[in-house]
Amino acid sequence: MKKCLKMLLAAAMLSTGLAAPSLHAADDPNPAAYAAALKGKRVLLVPMAMGFDLAQGWSAILKREVDAFGGVFETRDPNWSVEAGAQAITEAISSETKPDVLIVMSPDLNSYSKLMKKAQAEGIYVVLVDNPANFKADAYVGGDWTQLGRLEAEAVVKGCGPNSSKKIGLVQGDQVNATSLYQYAGIMEVLEKKYPDFKVVAKPDSNWDATTSRNVTTTMLQQTPDICGIIDFWDGDATGAAAAIREAGKQDSVFLVTTGGGEKTADCDKIADGTYGAVVMTELAQETHNMVAIIKYLLQSGQKPGTASPLIYTLMKATTKENLRPDSCWDLKALQADAEGK
Amino acid sequence: MSFRERLQAWRYNLIPDHLVGEILTKRWTDNAIPFLVLVATVAAFGTSIPGFFKPFSLQESTRQLGEFSIVVTGLTVVMLGGGIDLSVGSIFALATFAAVSGFFIFELPVWAAFLMAIGTGIAFGALNGYLIGFRRLRAFLTTLVTFIIGRAVFDILVVNYGAAIQTSSASSDVWDFIGDGSIYRISIPVLTALALAIITHIALTRSRPGWHVLAVGGSRRSAHNAGIKVKQTVFMTYVYSGFCASLAGFLIACRLSGAGPGTGLNMEILALTAAVVGGNSLGGGRGSVVKGLMGAIIVLVMNNGLIRLGYGTGTNQMVIGLMLAIAVIIDIRWLKNRHKVLNEVYVAPVYLKMGETQSAVPGSASPYALNNAISKTDYIGLGALEGPEDVILDRDDHLYCGTRHGEIIRYFAPDYSRSEVFAHIGGFPLGLAFDRDGNLISCVGAMGLYSISPDREVKRLSAETRRSWTSVQDDARLRDPNDLDIAPDGRIYFTDSTKRYDAHDWALDSIENRATGRLLVYDPKTGETKTLLDGYRYMNGVCMAHDGKSLFFAESWACRVHRYWLEGPKAGTAECVIKDMPGYPDNINRASDGTYWMAWLGMRTPSFDLSLRHPGFRKRMTRRLPQDDWLFPNINTGGVVKFDETGRIIGTLGDLTGQSHPMVTSMREHKGHLFIGGILNNRVGRLRLEGADEGWTGPLSYWGERA
Amino acid sequence: MDTKKGFDLFILNQERIVLAITAVIFVVASFGLPGFLTPDNLVAVVRSVSVLGILALGMAVVIIGRGIDLSAVAVMAMSVAWYLQMLNAGWSEAGALALVLSGVILIGLVNGFLVAYAEVPAIFVTLASASFVFGYVRSQIITADAVPVPNGHWLQSLGAVQFLDVPVEVFIFATFALIVFLFLRFTKWGRYVYFAGDNPVAARNAGMPVRPMLVLRYTISAILSFIAGLLTAASLHSMNTRVVNSTLFYDIVLVAVIGGIGLSGGKGGVRNVLIGAALTGILLNTMTIIDIPLIYQNLIKSTILLAAIIIDGVLNPRDEQTAQQGDI
Repeated sequence: MKKCLKMLLAAAMLSTGLAAPSLHAADDPNPAAYAAALKGKRVLLVPMAMGFDLAQGWSAILKREVDAFGGVFETRDPNWSVEAGAQAITEAISSETKPDVLIVMSPDLNSYSKLMKKAQAEGIYVVLVDNPANFKADAYVGGDWTQLGRLEAEAVVKGCGPNSSKKIGLVQGDQVNATSLYQYAGIMEVLEKKYPDFKVVAKPDSNWDATTSRNVTTTMLQQTPDICGIIDFWDGDATGAAAAIREAGKQDSVFLVTTGGGEKTADCDKIADGTYGAVVMTELAQETHNMVAIIKYLLQSGQKPGTASPLIYTLMKATTKENLRPDSCWDLKALQADAEGK
Repeated sequence: MSFRERLQAWRYNLIPDHLVGEILTKRWTDNAIPFLVLVATVAAFGTSIPGFFKPFSLQESTRQLGEFSIVVTGLTVVMLGGGIDLSVGSIFALATFAAVSGFFIFELPVWAAFLMAIGTGIAFGALNGYLIGFRRLRAFLTTLVTFIIGRAVFDILVVNYGAAIQTSSASSDVWDFIGDGSIYRISIPVLTALALAIITHIALTRSRPGWHVLAVGGSRRSAHNAGIKVKQTVFMTYVYSGFCASLAGFLIACRLSGAGPGTGLNMEILALTAAVVGGNSLGGGRGSVVKGLMGAIIVLVMNNGLIRLGYGTGTNQMVIGLMLAIAVIIDIRWLKNRHKVLNEVYVAPVYLKMGETQSAVPGSASPYALNNAISKTDYIGLGALEGPEDVILDRDDHLYCGTRHGEIIRYFAPDYSRSEVFAHIGGFPLGLAFDRDGNLISCVGAMGLYSISPDREVKRLSAETRRSWTSVQDDARLRDPNDLDIAPDGRIYFTDSTKRYDAHDWALDSIENRATGRLLVYDPKTGETKTLLDGYRYMNGVCMAHDGKSLFFAESWACRVHRYWLEGPKAGTAECVIKDMPGYPDNINRASDGTYWMAWLGMRTPSFDLSLRHPGFRKRMTRRLPQDDWLFPNINTGGVVKFDETGRIIGTLGDLTGQSHPMVTSMREHKGHLFIGGILNNRVGRLRLEGADEGWTGPLSYWGERA
Repeated sequence: MDTKKGFDLFILNQERIVLAITAVIFVVASFGLPGFLTPDNLVAVVRSVSVLGILALGMAVVIIGRGIDLSAVAVMAMSVAWYLQMLNAGWSEAGALALVLSGVILIGLVNGFLVAYAEVPAIFVTLASASFVFGYVRSQIITADAVPVPNGHWLQSLGAVQFLDVPVEVFIFATFALIVFLFLRFTKWGRYVYFAGDNPVAARNAGMPVRPMLVLRYTISAILSFIAGLLTAASLHSMNTRVVNSTLFYDIVLVAVIGGIGLSGGKGGVRNVLIGAALTGILLNTMTIIDIPLIYQNLIKSTILLAAIIIDGVLNPRDEQTAQQGDI
């Protein structure tokens, strides 16, 4: 993936380089061309909300990078409201200070599709992040959710071990979000094909809410006391499932797998203290730098928005206590302090 | 005139203080506070967001506003009817899904998708309406539950059919036009919202079903007792709300071409906030579509503006919470204290210097000298009558007079001891007159001009005149129709004493002393009422001259009598014939010897005359003192004055005892007797007139022998 | 209150209907669902509604006094988030607790003051204060949606405390239910709540301190919300402020109201809250055991609620002549 990007970048630089009429060895024209292409460009990030680790991580790194090339970086905080998000995009498209690149975290497959098409028609590059949508974006940067499900399934099977009850519980998000649906598909694919002896005994929804997650997990643990592993679909509510396990005194017998953005307090600290058995983490820094690269590429490419829609999946891996390193996670506080310091 | 008085005259007669009070009586002043908030909000965000007011930006950014205000309009109607609809968000989402599924899954034409959406909304609204209207369940709880049901159904549908919608390739120009198009740079949702708001506003304020909604919201029990179909009305408000929410749902379906789990989430709180910030009261009775619209704009501009400016989660809520609290508190305090403010500022006295008058002291040589002539009369209906403002006798010598209870009482000749209720009017009958056909015409206080036929059929002749262009207050309405008389051609000339006060507040008008009395004419042929003269200080009695070519009318607070010409070279003009009387004139009637009787409702006092030259004093008085301590015109001594065609005073009859007829508002001569009435009296007095024509009666004088 | 009604056991009102429905579900689940009628599960049922129940107790006190407190969820989440934020920033336990508690009481006082003395309808006051409390804390004090409990804090261990195999939350819920019960039943001001809710004007004319009592009720509700928030944080080891945007508020009102506390005030008590909580807890538990997806659970739950209020409406129809104006 990186290779591909590098090639793209190289191609871009080459093309600008070729366009330059005269080449002085002492005077590399490329930085000037780069600056000309990027200076003053506007990048707008519209996540589902700004109040969670991923969005804050993206925005911290993006801000640093965009500021560095002399662009303007802005965010909008719809606070999980689809209508407010749609409005933010609409206003961005129609505003005087139109963004050049729009980075959207779509709440579902369809809600913003039409708006994003409109944005492309207005000459705005649209980059989808983390949540896929039914739309040909100029790039999708984020997780392959099916793959993530597969990794979770592998992790839980490993965590349960061959001599366990081989009973697994799922705490799904909801039945609507692509992220939840694809995760489920990935998990089931692995379990059915590779480990047919593992059974899913219950698969309630948490609605992404920790309290609900705790309540359904409590019931699940009572109904199937010998459960060996649980996959909760998001670290945002997995604290609930963890609480239920803790309260039932089953920290040692139930292996909890979840997924998250790899923030230190949300993920690594909890792996370290045994709350989570494994977390399938998206490498946020890498994901954001992918975004940065594609932004830079798009702004210099001169191509029409909607020309190509590459998928740039972020590398994911399951982190457990065994492979936990000090640099496995990123620290939101440090990142923010860093950004503010500048 | 001293310099001080000249200053006072300028200050109080030229500066239109009274308009402040009149503006405050307007219902639309309720909207002042939300409107100011609206202006402030739009101005604040308009200046801080670059390009906010650019046509293209406005056209695009107001699409959501259009949809949202449609929802708020529906919710406003429900709230006006005394209910609440928390399920608007669910209806909105379900309608969006219906439209999207109809268009993308079933690949129906746009109109069919539209009907599916609207049908969904109306069905859902009908469910709410049935439960709350007909089954009488509590609105809050019921719509709360239906909201959850609707949301659950929507989630299930989205899960099961979301993929099918996403993979469909249906498209249509009409669909895209509704979603993205605009007419004259105004987007379709905004146009729809405006049209809907106008229709709803007209329906609420100008149609029977709309009035029923307001009546039910104002007082459900009274509406029920008044025979309004409360259940149907409540039902319809919810259906309407469902319709509105689904209309908005259809529009967003076209705009976004999709429905996701977040569609319409938390909309109910935002819509409720909007309706409330606009100034609609919960529990019904007060509010309007305009308020709802203003609230919608305020809330959305604020919401989107803060997001647009990049403020993080929470800032929005913080600002909206503060704004809601402040708006509601101001609104509530305003509503509660408005009548107090109004009481304080409404009375706006003017300067008037009354002219020097001749003495009325008994024994003085002046023609106004009072005596004891009417202190001894034969009492009719003593103690049984209350407030015979005017008295009149018919051809058969029966006596008629109005009472404070809204009735016209008939006392039977010859001894007037027997009585009956001749007619029940409802308002306080003041001036009375018989027309050619023997119909009794009456000016009914605060109601208008009424006619009572000999067989007692009551008919309203007129309750309004043409509105003048410059008035703030609705001066088409007759607030204080006072006296009337009928010309030989059948036209009815009558007075409306003041435009500023209702009949029972005549005393306030005397303190204010503003010239707002009018002379009006009602033409029975066309049924139209026209204003002939305007700007007199409490225009009161009217009397047709004996030849029928002019009429006399009294201007009470100025103590003057004028003559208005109906025919001849001066037709259409008025001239003052008596001025600076020592008493306040009331009704005027014909006398048998070709002269006229005039009642004095009270006598001028030096103190009140002085106060008229000190409007500031009277203003402070009405603001700071309880009404009992106010300085009023003296109405404890009145009298009857006789004057001739030229305005020469012939003589005065008085009651120095103050016991029989202290305040006289009317008198009628009939067959050698004078019948005396007073609006605050409890009797009618009959006085034998020495040397009067024993055969003369009013009907004879006006209409001749019975046809 | 009405002795005649007390003797006539066959008059069905909303409370009895809901109780009957609850009993039916309980019996059916006991026979039909393996693992339902076990002590552990029953404890779990109570526990799952204990936070909701505490919130509903506060709401009940307000509703009986003819009010409503929409700010309960915001106060619950934001007070605790603020508290945790201060602890994470290194405040002393006592200082943080004192500050938050005074903040919570202040919100209650402001709510009560605006309702009682400014005479603004409760629904607006609390709608506004909910929005403000959430907005202020979220934008000015905390930086992310969720705030974790600091490691080693007593809240972390509170979640694990058990007596006789019953988690501490259950006891706390029971304790507060008892306190509220005693307050409403046996104290003078508790009885006044009913009078003030039934007819505020008459209560005021009779010399009761109606306005100070209103302030008291909103303060009680705010404090109970804070306690509910602490329990939530104790069990989840964090406080996610997104809960303010959820439908939790509706659940609280439903628990309070479905058991028979009239929104028009003056009626009901702790018993009704317990019935409402029982129905909610048993329903959710059985549906989770059957493994019904959440979206269908919502549908089933709300349909049962609708049935309950419809049956109540049929059995106890309201009369045009006696209905209160503005009673929604």
